[in-house]
Amino acid sequence: MPFTRINSKMVEAPIGPGQRMFSQRGAMLAYRGQVSFTPNITGGQGGAMAMIGRRLANEATPLMTVEGHGSVMFGHGGHHIHTVDLTGETLYVEADRLLAFDGSLQQGTMFMGSQGGVMGVIRGQVTGQGLFTTTLRGKGSVAVMAHGGVIELPITPQHPVHVDPQAYVAHRGDVRNKLTAALGWREMVGRGSGEAFQLELSGQGMVYVQASEEKL
Amino acid sequence: MAVFRLHGSRVLAVDLAGDAVKAKNGAMVAYDGEMTFKKMTGGGEGLRGMMTRRITGEAMAVMEVKGHGTCYFADRATEINLVRLTGEKLYVEASNLLATEPSLRTGTTFTGLRGASQGNGLFTTTVEGTGQAAIMSDGPAIVLRVSGAYPLVVDPGAYVAHTGQLRQQLQSSVGWRTLMGEGSGESFQIRFEGEGLVYVQPSERNTIGGQL
Repeated sequence: MPFTRINSKMVEAPIGPGQRMFSQRGAMLAYRGQVSFTPNITGGQGGAMAMIGRRLANEATPLMTVEGHGSVMFGHGGHHIHTVDLTGETLYVEADRLLAFDGSLQQGTMFMGSQGGVMGVIRGQVTGQGLFTTTLRGKGSVAVMAHGGVIELPITPQHPVHVDPQAYVAHRGDVRNKLTAALGWREMVGRGSGEAFQLELSGQGMVYVQASEEKL
Repeated sequence: MAVFRLHGSRVLAVDLAGDAVKAKNGAMVAYDGEMTFKKMTGGGEGLRGMMTRRITGEAMAVMEVKGHGTCYFADRATEINLVRLTGEKLYVEASNLLATEPSLRTGTTFTGLRGASQGNGLFTTTVEGTGQAAIMSDGPAIVLRVSGAYPLVVDPGAYVAHTGQLRQQLQSSVGWRTLMGEGSGESFQIRFEGEGLVYVQPSERNTIGGQL
């Protein structure tokens, strides 16, 4: 079920019998037809073990299951919404930035340390992602929230992209990320340029960057 | 030569080929290629500029971005407007200035009572020379032309920047209603006369006279 944009802050998704969607709890704005919203205590897919995993990982955003026949409009907090269509690859995104996603996508939790070890953990702390991040894999659509508009920057092996950790939203594809620090004597004496830490993304994929350095 | 282009309305992309641009401290959101960031103390205006900025309170935290590739700038999701200068002077508040080409000079000028009414102090920043500057506004800014026969009156809280040969004066319409607390909220206005352009944002800053 692809999301259609109504405006930059609202999306609409059709839903049919046998289909399922997950959305952040309370993000429904309006709906047509017969649609039911069930709070989802497990916070997404999987059983009790997945729930415990997410609780421990602090990636448990209250979600609800959307089922029925009709169409649903989503929006939250006046944030800009960006839709991402996945065709088999993996999207890495913070759970609190997820507005809604197809039930056909497989949800998982990834330990930041599994990409880059200790530096991965430090990176999580600097970007405010914490120790864990959410992954979505498969075929389907995802609606992601960001403060301000989102720009997509392609990453190719010849062209690594550097991103301000605070402006990073999500990334997809086969991407390695690395935190680079450009700390010098200027930072030590409080005369930094404000760009001491950067996230270097290399590989093949796409990174989503928001036009702001504010968190949601 | 640095090339400024807008990527959407809230992200400024600057293509650099070994040259440098001045940008607001911490405004980089992403880049590809090789870039270095260096803070310029006192807005890169030398020791005298630094002292002036310290004294006037028109502090401007600026960094120099140098390298090869494309650098993307954005700040708190504000709208970005590109202004091309060909020798004239742009008056803008330091907090609304996002990036300037290296060919442009920045400085400070005294604005008097008008500045105070805008809620941004008695001094403002000037940008002079030939090249492009990126200014920020809360919401998409409109550009209003002022000519000899058509003076323009602007709410101090919505004023962003202006260029050209403009005289400005603060006018107030404080009457007995204002004193009773029944003011219209439009007691202070800035009047522009002369030839030039004024940038106005669809939002009002908190100003001293804004509630009157």
